[in-house]
Amino acid sequence: MTAEPRLRSARSAPVQPGPHPELGLVRRPAFWLVLALLVAGAARMGVITAQYATAYPWALIAATGLFALLAVPFWFVVSELDFLEREPPALLVLAFAWGGLVATTVSIPGSAALDDIIAKLGSPHLAADWGAALAGPTVEEVAKTLGVVAIVLIAREQINSVLDGVVYGAMVGLGFQIVEDIVYAMGAVALAGRGDHIEPVVTTFLLRGFLSGVWSHTLFGALAGAGVGYLVVRGDRTLRTRLGVAMLAVLGAWASHVLWNSPLLRDGLGNGALALLAVLVFKGLPPLLLTWLLVRTAHDREAEYYTAQLATLDDPELVTAAEIQALKFGSRRASARWHARVRAGFRAWAAVRRLQRAQARLAVEISRGSPDLARWCHEVRRQRRTLTRLGHPEAIAPDGKGPWRRTASAVFSTALAVAVLWAAISALGGA
Amino acid sequence: MGMGRVTRSQRTNLLGVIALVVALGGLAFGLPALNHMLPSDRAVPTDRPYRIGGGVTVVPPPGARIDVTETRPTATSGTVLFRLGPVRYLVSVQPFDGTLQSAVLRLRQRITGTSGYQVTGTELTVATAGGLAGIQGGYSGPGRGGRYAVFVADGRTIEVTVSGADLDLGRTLPAIDASTRTLRYAPERAG
Repeated sequence: MTAEPRLRSARSAPVQPGPHPELGLVRRPAFWLVLALLVAGAARMGVITAQYATAYPWALIAATGLFALLAVPFWFVVSELDFLEREPPALLVLAFAWGGLVATTVSIPGSAALDDIIAKLGSPHLAADWGAALAGPTVEEVAKTLGVVAIVLIAREQINSVLDGVVYGAMVGLGFQIVEDIVYAMGAVALAGRGDHIEPVVTTFLLRGFLSGVWSHTLFGALAGAGVGYLVVRGDRTLRTRLGVAMLAVLGAWASHVLWNSPLLRDGLGNGALALLAVLVFKGLPPLLLTWLLVRTAHDREAEYYTAQLATLDDPELVTAAEIQALKFGSRRASARWHARVRAGFRAWAAVRRLQRAQARLAVEISRGSPDLARWCHEVRRQRRTLTRLGHPEAIAPDGKGPWRRTASAVFSTALAVAVLWAAISALGGA
Repeated sequence: MGMGRVTRSQRTNLLGVIALVVALGGLAFGLPALNHMLPSDRAVPTDRPYRIGGGVTVVPPPGARIDVTETRPTATSGTVLFRLGPVRYLVSVQPFDGTLQSAVLRLRQRITGTSGYQVTGTELTVATAGGLAGIQGGYSGPGRGGRYAVFVADGRTIEVTVSGADLDLGRTLPAIDASTRTLRYAPERAG
């Protein structure tokens, strides 16, 4: 007799989706306190916004519009990270609001004070060179991580994998990043001293939104969030280990932020656009790769668990063996959608997407032990019928067909992004 | 179970909440309080040039002390705040690619952009011992008077703002004017 291969999730901490968030949350003290903190943060940021709105109304509208647009793709990517077990939108909004209202409100006086303390205990030279690199990350990373802790206090049952911590951490970071960018843009308008002009806003958008956007607070927040997720989820490990990993993750977020803000390589590679690009990559790529690796590992672990739940159905109308394999990886899910579009048009692309979502939802409900799965099975079958009508009954991409076009499209998009980045760097005087 | 009974889970939640508030309070109020407890002024030699940043130096007026919270020297720019009792003497060096007139206009707009502040009197041309040409003017705000001067040198603007109560200004302005005349742009000393 051979032992059955066990899932990674079964060997360690189980992946168990929490129940639907209910009104029971309001009985927790944390809910009301976080609500009060959000109101206080909104009031404080409202005062700052009102000052800008009085002095530079058009610039404020432009800054808010541009950075709100920037938030859209970030929000989409972050919320898609956990495709199989999506987080409740209300909690994602709360995480975003914490970053944009509470973490910023706390960080403004805290960072300024720490910067001054560095100057007082060290010297003005030290503060000028390293103040931004030490004060900002120290205060901001703690304030943002507390946002993920707040989510845990409000809805602990919704954090059931490291990936959930990544998603909430990234959302807190995104909220912080967008509001901070708007404040920086308005600061640039004030410093320019030319009244209500939007040129400083556009420059700030190119610099902070475009060049620094990818490797900014969203990334740092994701790293720290992974640590909180590990601390909460991995009950199979000792408390000391979990605390150690959580602190290491927060330290990693802090170190990435310090590296990004540091004066290192400020002049070391010259002044050209290539040098600026090299600095951006050197300072931004390590945390990006680290986060990608973390997300990949956490996602695979979770996907393994949920697809195993679907396999127990043994009903090819609900999910076929090939679809289970496709559901395990983001790239294969995307390839299946791409293949459907090439073969049967955009409606098939949309139907495959809805089918994959319905299958993921079904897997989550099975894991929850929901007594009545009929509603979720019905939705899967409905999408299957649509696909059958479109002549594309199975949501998979056959090996060797389709993916190369997707790869070519990805390469083209990347090249386009680099070209736009290059143009932005050159426009900002890097060349 | 009676109504209003606090469960263990709620107690734990409350403890977590208290820890969260303490941590946030530490960042928002604790750090500023600690900062407030530490002295911010520091003695500075007034017999030799002080490097502001961006290759610009100035000889501080006698009796001046540096406020380290608003002093930030770097290779391409810099700010120094001298305090002579209650009088603030701020010199700021920033990269700038415009003319002297546009630099003056920019500073004037920043001054008048602050509620209650207005530019007063006429502007005068000034020059430093090192050959920098600039424009000087005055302004007033709630309970305070002030003086500003702007110089442009080799892609940099040097802004000087002095503020304080009228009596204090009258007593210290001669020394500050003498100090402003020692402003010198020496690119070889940048950084």
